[in-house]
Amino acid sequence: MKVLLIIPSFNEEDNVLDNYNKIMNYNKKYKSNFDVIVIDDGSSDKTKEICEENDIPHISLVHNLGIGGAVQTGYKYALINDFDIAIQFDGDGQHDINYANKLIEPIINENADMVIGSRFIDKTSSKFKSSKARRFGINIISIFMKIVTGKKIYDTTSGFRAVNKKLIQYFAINYPVEYPEPVSTVEVLKKKMCVKEVPVSMNERENGISSIKTWKKVYYMINVVLSILTVGIGGKK
Amino acid sequence: MSFNLKIVSIIFSLFIIVLILALLKKNKINIKYSIVWIILFLLLQILIIIPGVLSFITRCLGFQTGSNMVISIIIALLIVINIVLTMIVSNQDKKIRLLIQEISILKNKMDDDRNE
Repeated sequence: MKVLLIIPSFNEEDNVLDNYNKIMNYNKKYKSNFDVIVIDDGSSDKTKEICEENDIPHISLVHNLGIGGAVQTGYKYALINDFDIAIQFDGDGQHDINYANKLIEPIINENADMVIGSRFIDKTSSKFKSSKARRFGINIISIFMKIVTGKKIYDTTSGFRAVNKKLIQYFAINYPVEYPEPVSTVEVLKKKMCVKEVPVSMNERENGISSIKTWKKVYYMINVVLSILTVGIGGKK
Repeated sequence: MSFNLKIVSIIFSLFIIVLILALLKKNKINIKYSIVWIILFLLLQILIIIPGVLSFITRCLGFQTGSNMVISIIIALLIVINIVLTMIVSNQDKKIRLLIQEISILKNKMDDDRNE
């Protein structure tokens, strides 16, 4: 099984090397063989230089595309290089590599096409559960997703997820660039594919800022709900 | 519609048509996008110049005055044109994204090949 970790990074000069070393240590410790591809999303800081100096496999986008376009580049790379499983792994230190094996287990056993690392599925699993307002938002998204797909997903905005080869092929061509996490999950569910959640623990963002700014939260919510409804209701594209 | 307003409308429409044609000549606008503007303002010219046409349509559609109708129709058309433009922009967005991704992957591959 060839496994690729897709690490979208935008201005993560403080985290990128640290993150990479953690993954390499993990590989050594568990004798796993995860490949890494850092997608430098047109960073204006030294992210690219650090990748080059330390021989971190990376693709530097010639212009900033946003998280969706960056992650899709990773899927394209996974498709070209014939990977069996792709894991999305945030470049900001939020995700814990130690859960990667748990995340790909259902895919290896062919129990799921997509596995989401969830903070909320198990009450004890994660110390960091994010703010009340954000959880409220995540719950609303969850309710709308349940309405259009009939399946309850707890951590709808989690960017820590693994997909199988079939979905690598699909995402390489059709990855939603706006509000990718919830929208892609709806698309996958609508294709009658199996989505599983496994409990993970997440850290608070170590450095850098969230891609969702405070004043944009309401606007974000309206947009996400609208996208879920338009993707979820009505037939195939 | 008063005589004065008619004169102003005709001059304005003529100005727009000349502007579009000038842009076309300088290659700053695509023919397929300019046609809609030229047709729109030519129709407006005809509507205003030929007597009776304007008041007839105004009565048929139930507008109070001819100027009201002209403004309403123009607003409606502008909305449609804007939606079409948004569609074009979204489509170009998609194409640009694809180009950035493919070029970046290609560059990465070139670097890898050079290092081997």
